[in-house]
Amino acid sequence: MDVLSNGAVTTVSNFVFPNDLHVHWSMMIVLYPYITGIVAGAFIVSSLYHVFNIKALKPVSRFSLLFALAFLACATLPLLVHLGHPERSMNMMITPSPSSAMAGFGYIYALYGIVLVLEILFIYRPKLVQLQAGSAGWMQKIYTLLSFGSDNVTPESLALDKKIIKFLAAIGIPMACLLHGYVGFIFGGVKANPTWSTPLMPVIFLLSACVSGISGIILLYILTKKYRRESLNLECIKTCFNYLAGFFIIDFTFEMLEVFSHSYLRSGYHHMVEGLLNGPLYISFWVAQVFMFSVVPLFLFGWLCLTRVKDRLYILGTMVTSGLLLLQVLYMRWNVVIGGQLMSKSARGYTEFHPQWFHKEGIITAIILMSLPFIVLFFLGKIFPFWLEESE
Amino acid sequence: MHIQSVRRYLLQSNHNSHVKRIIVGLLVLAVFGFASKLIFAPATFGDLGHYRAKAILEEANLEPRLMTNESCLTCHQHEKRKHLKGTHKTVSCEFCHGAYFDHILDDKKIGTLDVKKGEEIRVLCLRCHNKEIQARPTDKIKTVALPQHLEEKRVRTTHTCDQCHYVHAPLEYVNLAKKMMRIKDEPEKEPCP
Ligand code: HEC
Ligand code: HEC
Ligand code: HEC
Ligand code: HEC
Repeated sequence: MDVLSNGAVTTVSNFVFPNDLHVHWSMMIVLYPYITGIVAGAFIVSSLYHVFNIKALKPVSRFSLLFALAFLACATLPLLVHLGHPERSMNMMITPSPSSAMAGFGYIYALYGIVLVLEILFIYRPKLVQLQAGSAGWMQKIYTLLSFGSDNVTPESLALDKKIIKFLAAIGIPMACLLHGYVGFIFGGVKANPTWSTPLMPVIFLLSACVSGISGIILLYILTKKYRRESLNLECIKTCFNYLAGFFIIDFTFEMLEVFSHSYLRSGYHHMVEGLLNGPLYISFWVAQVFMFSVVPLFLFGWLCLTRVKDRLYILGTMVTSGLLLLQVLYMRWNVVIGGQLMSKSARGYTEFHPQWFHKEGIITAIILMSLPFIVLFFLGKIFPFWLEESE
Repeated sequence: MHIQSVRRYLLQSNHNSHVKRIIVGLLVLAVFGFASKLIFAPATFGDLGHYRAKAILEEANLEPRLMTNESCLTCHQHEKRKHLKGTHKTVSCEFCHGAYFDHILDDKKIGTLDVKKGEEIRVLCLRCHNKEIQARPTDKIKTVALPQHLEEKRVRTTHTCDQCHYVHAPLEYVNLAKKMMRIKDEPEKEPCP
């Protein structure tokens, strides 16, 4: 009765079933795929180095894992805030069950978390051993624990580590894909919602995950390096940016393919989806997601990747493009999650959604939730140095 | 002395001792996970299925929010006289006004309910009576198109519905007017307030 009683009902159009009036899955459910997407995308960056040997990505290979871990630690939180019990956000790992697609996520989430942590420990081991020797007191205890009390960094030992790292990174890739493909699947599997139920949904989610993850890493890499007044590795940024361009082009193609093929086929319920995209979602879909945050970045990609640009301008350009793409993905999640619920099952009317500032799932909560991963990352950075030194 | 040597043995590191320790660590984690499941999973979790069995009981015992029209009419005598005789007799008061328990607790008024005025009334009526709703059989809940409906009656299109239709018995004044003007309904139409 929310919408009814505050008089906002004027923009509710045509016939909306009473149980469709209220958008139940609101901003928290937008953040959830956004955060898991960043996890999966960041992991892919480090895998490009560790599995596919893209040497240029070495400077960000360690950082991207920590970045993924920080976001993974907060991934389930928005869901559980939505359910009203944020304190239970880790419970899904101890009560997984194959009986439901939602509870099944517990397996994927827990396993992925273990793989990620192990990979970080193995990759950082030589560094941890070195730090352990150079520190004292509490920090030394932490480092001893994290290096499992072993200070053996003989070539034999490192060779073994290398094999294990490769193995972990290799199984990490399908798991990262599963992690986020699953999130797309949860939406794609909702048969009753014509904007969600498409087998393309997991693919689109996965690709946009890569886009947001890589953008996030580029942006944070440049920002932290600038902040510490350290030199940037341009080669690394260029490689990241080219990968970003590749992933984004495919991602955007699929997003548009979904819209235009339904539009051409006039498939069932297309009239509803069309009305949705051209009506309530006009600004957030066509203007924001498609034009401002997709078409504009495409031109920026063309300019930055295909022409010779001065280094400073290039770096500025990558920052702007990455920022725009982070917003693109956020808008895409918004348009999918909230947009999809604006259509009534009557197939004859649209409801509306007003974000509130101080609601349990309001804008303030969203901002707090989005800053949590960065706080976690900050503390992780106190233990695991993000960046390689010249000698490494 | 003895403990010292055990410690030294444990902390001695071969090229793969950290791997062994990590495996032990994972086993510990598994045990820890299992233990925390026993501790943290809610008491009745899993009794009936993959959920908290007690949740059913809790849901069933939730305080109701809505009541029947009958319950409203015990206090609202005026509406009782009108509503029950009108064409809206089957329509829930709460659809237009909001939930009973936002209004009444233990037979006492605890809150004001929503009362739509003017422009809002039009929106309210059109939620059910809009011609756009094509899913309806035409003779059940009759629908009107705007502004045609108002144009037909030769009034300004800014007229709100309640200027002619009394909200609790929409045809009461319409029929009254018809009687005064001696307008006869088509034979199959039964006059009803
Ligand atoms: C079709 C929607 C609708 C239904 C159903 C309905 N009402 Fe109303 N009611 C209204 C509107 C609109 C007003 C305001 C009328 C006006 O100002 O012209 C109103 C006014 C009232 C008022 C007077 C409020 C005031 O302060 O002026 C009371 C009391 C009331 N309704 C009680 C009831 C009860 C009891 C029922 C159920 C038997 C009921 N209503 C059913 C729409 C409805
Ligand atoms: C216990 C008696 C009681 C019951 C039951 C009751 N009301 Fe009321 N209602 C009142 C009183 C008293 C007022 C205040 C009347 C006044 O100020 O003149 C009121 C006022 C209203 C008003 C005017 C707005 C307001 O809140 O002041 C509406 C509308 C209304 N009631 C609707 C309903 C509806 C709909 C129901 C059933 C869901 C209902 N009432 C049940 C006692 C009752
Ligand atoms: C919850 C849905 C609902 C709302 C809101 C609603 N009505 Fe109705 N209306 C009905 C139903 C149900 C009937 C009875 C239909 C029947 O018996 O076939 C009806 C009957 C009528 C009729 C008589 C139609 C006829 O000739 O059979 C009129 C006139 C009417 N309503 C006007 C209004 C006005 C004016 C409003 C706004 C104050 C309004 N209605 C709000 C559901 C609604
Ligand atoms: C100028 C007065 C006037 C206004 C304003 C008005 N109506 Fe009517 N309405 C009538 C009359 C008179 C009838 C009865 C017509 C008949 O019996 O042929 C009627 C009939 C109806 C009917 C029944 C239609 C049918 O096919 O029998 C509905 C539904 C209705 N009105 C809804 C509304 C709604 C909703 C509004 C507000 C947008 C509204 N009316 C505004 C005068 C009005």
